[in-house]
Amino acid sequence: MGSLFKLAFRNVFRFKRRTFITFTAVSVGLALLIIMICLMNGVDKQSIDNIVNSETSHIKIFKRGYFEKKDELPMDLRIDDADDVRSWLSDRPEIRRMEKRILFGASIIKGMDELPCLGVAMEPEQDPFIFNIKASLLEGDWLKPDDTGILIGKDLADDVGLKVGDLVTVRLISSSDRENFSWNALDVEVKGLFDTGNPNTDGQVLILPLARAQQALSMGSGATELVIRLNVADPTDPSIEATRKEVQAILKRRGADLEVYSWKELAGEFLIISKMKTRNSSMIIMIMLIIAAMGIANTMLMAVLERTREIGMLAALGMKKSQILVLFLIEGGIIGVIGSLVGCLLGGLGGWYLQVHGWKLGSEAFGDITASFYPLKNVFYADLSLDVLVMTFVLGTVIAVVTSFYPALKAARLNPVDALRHI
Amino acid sequence: MAIIRVDNVSKIYQTNGIPFPALRGISFTVDPGEFLSIAGPSGSGKTTILNIMGCLDQPSEGAVFLDEQDISRKKAAELAVIRRHTIGFVFQTFNLIPILTAFENVEFPLILKGDLSAKDRREWAERMLVDVGLKDFMHRRPSEMSGGQQQRVAIARALVKKPQLLLADEPTANLDSKTGKEILDLMLAMNEKTESTFIFSTHDRMVMDFARRLIRLRDGRVESDETRG
Repeated sequence: MGSLFKLAFRNVFRFKRRTFITFTAVSVGLALLIIMICLMNGVDKQSIDNIVNSETSHIKIFKRGYFEKKDELPMDLRIDDADDVRSWLSDRPEIRRMEKRILFGASIIKGMDELPCLGVAMEPEQDPFIFNIKASLLEGDWLKPDDTGILIGKDLADDVGLKVGDLVTVRLISSSDRENFSWNALDVEVKGLFDTGNPNTDGQVLILPLARAQQALSMGSGATELVIRLNVADPTDPSIEATRKEVQAILKRRGADLEVYSWKELAGEFLIISKMKTRNSSMIIMIMLIIAAMGIANTMLMAVLERTREIGMLAALGMKKSQILVLFLIEGGIIGVIGSLVGCLLGGLGGWYLQVHGWKLGSEAFGDITASFYPLKNVFYADLSLDVLVMTFVLGTVIAVVTSFYPALKAARLNPVDALRHI
Repeated sequence: MAIIRVDNVSKIYQTNGIPFPALRGISFTVDPGEFLSIAGPSGSGKTTILNIMGCLDQPSEGAVFLDEQDISRKKAAELAVIRRHTIGFVFQTFNLIPILTAFENVEFPLILKGDLSAKDRREWAERMLVDVGLKDFMHRRPSEMSGGQQQRVAIARALVKKPQLLLADEPTANLDSKTGKEILDLMLAMNEKTESTFIFSTHDRMVMDFARRLIRLRDGRVESDETRG
C-alpha cells in the first residue's frame, strides 16, 4: 500500500500545471464555501443577538391571548399583577433580571408631519440589564424613572430630523379600535439617540419611562409584557426553553392567566426567513461543490486517457484491477486532501478576517434589502468555527475520492492488450 | 518438459462485428532456457501469440500451457498473479514509469510480488541494474536516459523477479541498429546467465539472426520452425 501511495503522490504532481489548476479550482471553491458558510452563520448569530438584545430578550410573559394579537398592540390585554409575578420568580437563580414594559402605537409629530412608530415604555433601572439600548446611546443621557423626555433611534431621528435637546410632540395611542380610538399627546424633549445595530429598533422605536407612559395611557400599574433575561450567554442554549416551561408551570400553579414565550417564538418570522435563505444558499453551495468535483473528475479522466498505455504496462507487470482502482482513488484522494487543506487555510483566513473586520455594506445601498431579511445594518461579521473547517475538509476529500471513482473504475477495467496498443 | 505448449490456438478478433482471424490453429512447444524469435510481417499474429503466452490475452480456440498449467481459461485475477510471478515483459516503446527512477522502475515488480524484504529488493534491483550496465544511471528518470538505456532498464525490470519466461515484443524496433545489436547482445548474455526462457517477436532480419530458434508466422499460421546452431 505504501508503494501505491508513493506512486500516486508522484503521479499527482506529474503534470504540474494541470495539477496546479485543479488544486486552485478545489481550493478556491472550498475557500469560498467556507467564507460563505461563516458569513451566513455570522449573519444569523448577529441577527439573533440583535433580536434578543434589543427586541425580545430571552423570555416574555403576556396576558393570555396577547401573543396572537401582538401586532395590533392590544392595550386591553395587560398584566395588572406584574409585580406579583416578579416576586413569584424572584428566587429563580437562572433569571438575571425582569422588567415590566408597555408596547404601544405611537407617532412623532413635527410641524405638519406625523411619523408612526413603536412606543416602548420601560423601567430605566432594569432595562440596561436586559437590553442594549443604554449601551448603544450615541448622544444624550439615559432616562431616569421620573423623566419626562424620550429616547429615539438614530435612524428614526434622521427620518424626522430630530436631535438631542429638540422638543417634539408624540402621540401615544391607548386604543386603536376604530370605534373606540383613543390617544394622548405629550410634548417631550429628545434626551438621547441610540444605535443598536438593529434597524427594526433604530428606525421605529421611541422610548419613555414606564411611569410616565402608564399615566399617559391610563394603564394604572399595568404593563403589556414582563420581560425576562436569563443568565445564559448563548441565545440558542436549550436551557431557555426549559426555563420557559418552568415559568409557565409556576404561573399555572399560581392561577395566573398568563402565557410565556421564548424569543424563538417571538422571532418566528425571522427564523422562517432565515431557514429559507439557508436552503437557497445550500443550492449555491451544491453548485460550487459540483464545479470543484467536475474539475477533479476532468483531471482524473485526462490522467486515465494519457496514461492508458502505462496502465496496460502496470497490468502486464501483474498489478491487479483492484490495485489499479485503488491507485487512482488515492490520486483523487491526494488532490482532495491537499486541495481541501489549502481551501481550509484560505477560507479560514478569509473567515477570520471577516470575523474581525466584518463586511461593510453601505447602508444607503443595502439598508432596505438587509432590513427586509435580517435585523442588521452596516457591517456583517462572519462566525468562523472549527466545525466548519473540519466539515469542509472532510467533504472536499470525500467528494474528491467519490468523483475519482468513475475514472479509476475506467482505468481498472481497461483490457491490458488494448491499453498497451493505445497511442 | 516444455515451459510453453501452444496447442492448436486460434484467435479471432471482432472488428465492427466482422470477424478477423489473427491466429489460425498454431501449435509449438518451447523448452526452458530457449532463446526464441517469432518472426513475421505485420499482421502475421506474432504480437497476438506473445500476448496469449504472456497471460495478457486468451485464445478463442485451443489451449496454452505454461509450465504444464492451462492458462487459456483462467480468470483475469489469476492471470495477473501468474504475470506477477512468472513472466517478464519488454516492450517496443520501453514503457517505463516516467515518474520513477531507473532503480524504482526495476524495484517495482518486486514490490508487486511482495515476498521480499526492502533490503533484499534493493539488493536485487541494484544487482540487476549493474548486470545490464547501468550502475551509474540508477537514480535517473527515463526522460534523462537514451532509448538504449531505457530498454536496458526495461530488461532489468523484466528479469529482476527471476521469471520463468521473458517476452519481448519487437524490443529493438525503436532503436538504431547499433543500439539494437547491443540490446540483443545483452538479452543473449542474460539468457545464458539466468534460467529464464526468452521469446521475442521481430520482423528485423538482424534480430532473427540472433535467435537460436526461429518460428516464422504468416497470416496467423506457422510457416516454419527452425533451430539454429
